[in-house]
Amino acid sequence: MLVAPLAVFWIGGLLLAMADGRRRDIGYLGAVILTIGFGATAFLGRDVLTYGPVEIVAGSWPTGVGITLRADALGVAFSLTATAVLLVAYCYELAGRIESRTFPALTLFLATGLTGLFLTGDAFNFYVFFEVAMVSSYILAAYGEERRQLRAAVIFTVVNLLGSVLFLIGIVSLYHVTGTLDMATIAARIPIVEENPTLIAGTFLFVALGVKLGIFPFHFWLPAVYTGVHASVAAMFSGALAMIGAYGLLRIGAGMLPRELAVSSPVLIVLGIASIVYGGLQSVSRHDPAAVVAYSAIGQVGYILIAVAIGGGVGYSAAILFTIINSVNKTLLFLAGDQSGRYAGIAYAIGGLSVAGIPLTMGFWSKTALLRTSMVGEGFPLRVVLTGVVVLGGVLSLLYMFQSYGRTYWHANAGPAVRIAPTRTVIVLMLAIFTLVFGIWPEPLLALSQRAALTLIPGTP
Amino acid sequence: MTLLIALAIAILIGSGSYLLLKHDLIQVVVGVLLLSHGANLFIMFAGLQKGAAPIYPLAPNSAIADPLVQAMTLTAIVITFGVSALLLSLIYRVYIAHATLDTVTLADEEERQERAEESDESADDPEDDAAILVEEGRAL
Repeated sequence: MLVAPLAVFWIGGLLLAMADGRRRDIGYLGAVILTIGFGATAFLGRDVLTYGPVEIVAGSWPTGVGITLRADALGVAFSLTATAVLLVAYCYELAGRIESRTFPALTLFLATGLTGLFLTGDAFNFYVFFEVAMVSSYILAAYGEERRQLRAAVIFTVVNLLGSVLFLIGIVSLYHVTGTLDMATIAARIPIVEENPTLIAGTFLFVALGVKLGIFPFHFWLPAVYTGVHASVAAMFSGALAMIGAYGLLRIGAGMLPRELAVSSPVLIVLGIASIVYGGLQSVSRHDPAAVVAYSAIGQVGYILIAVAIGGGVGYSAAILFTIINSVNKTLLFLAGDQSGRYAGIAYAIGGLSVAGIPLTMGFWSKTALLRTSMVGEGFPLRVVLTGVVVLGGVLSLLYMFQSYGRTYWHANAGPAVRIAPTRTVIVLMLAIFTLVFGIWPEPLLALSQRAALTLIPGTP
Repeated sequence: MTLLIALAIAILIGSGSYLLLKHDLIQVVVGVLLLSHGANLFIMFAGLQKGAAPIYPLAPNSAIADPLVQAMTLTAIVITFGVSALLLSLIYRVYIAHATLDTVTLADEEERQERAEESDESADDPEDDAAILVEEGRAL
């Protein structure tokens, strides 16, 4: 059961790699495989939420020797969201025209990497799946193969390779001090290890994950890449790939190195605030809708950092809820911003409202959870500052979202004269309706994020 | 020995980072390779113990080298190999498209393109449209 989603994506990717993805039937086959994989992940998720975590050791090795795959509520929540984002972005591209023969296979390999990464219980395996996802995304960044995409792909590849090297060094340092690669065993042994070596390992891992997330001092690659690549690829990157950063912060930071996370929480809070303010101000001053959303992405991940730094059940569940909702928002905005016409405009406006956290949209619940988190922080001045920053970030996002909405959709003739593909508009509208439905009925998302947060707090199942 | 290895890793990673900041994309690729080799060496020497090769039959009462780091290094080397092949082919495509491998020239072109797009946008502004209409009226 646990390997089903992985096997579907992986074998599907291998098969499609041999076919020409530009053909319509191959394109539809890719969508079908992605849907089957999504279904398998959903079934796995139902099992995990009803009966508790599922675990298998690869190759029938005894526990402690072989590589473990482990699905718990946190991993399942992230892999479900990532797969759904990939499916939507893929269908969006399919509704237009797939321009490269490798696109369906690469999407499936990206899904393999992400699912494997979210469902592994082994630190080195985490790195391997991380690379599987990254290598597919390097090629996806060049999708379209025009000059602009190629430039974006080079920047993206070089920066993220540097990130991968740092990540590898961090993982191996953890192995050196604990003598194991199993995440649960590392977490159990970390308290008896000296603090300084683990702090250094933690710093390496944090920088690597920060590059992936695009938080403030490591954001420099992000705007050039997100505005350079195709809209559907940008949606995949900011909706699914950036989740690696948030997941790593939660799984490695909160789950494996809680003591080191507590020591470094002031740094995380400062970087988070810097991200929110920098991203917000830069967004306000941008014109191109893709650039606005790209800088907004920098601002939004700042909230995740703050929520993780405050920690506890409230903080972790806010971080998880925010990551999931942020992924949906970013996918909606990148895809809707690529379209023109009235309905795409409505969808873009709903996405904008959701980013700003207006009631009746999903974003409202993530902002509520964040405000709640900022009020449980330690010390009165910190609480005031954090609440102020969350509110300021919300105001800024309302401002830039409506500037960009007005500029793109109100001057109807000002937008680029792109032909409107009706199927694409339908996909974008469905995503917008999804945002509204879960804005009115957030109960499943709230419950899921709380269940997922519990897996990070020792002493709870 | 530890100092020597640490020095080797430091030199590899240091020169790799230096090359990463160069203008020439080929030098950037070499920088990435050196960085990865630094990381691979780091993995090898993060092993828990040194000793004889970990192959059965084991010699009694002798220290056995940690086999796990060797397996990890091998995996990392394979990944580095694949990624550098990919990076080189990507750079080849850049060369075909731009006929240059200099990052400064590439950045200049990016800026020029952005400026061209911005002037397109300003041409579409409603005020400008009005001005164009007025001019057309005059021409008539």
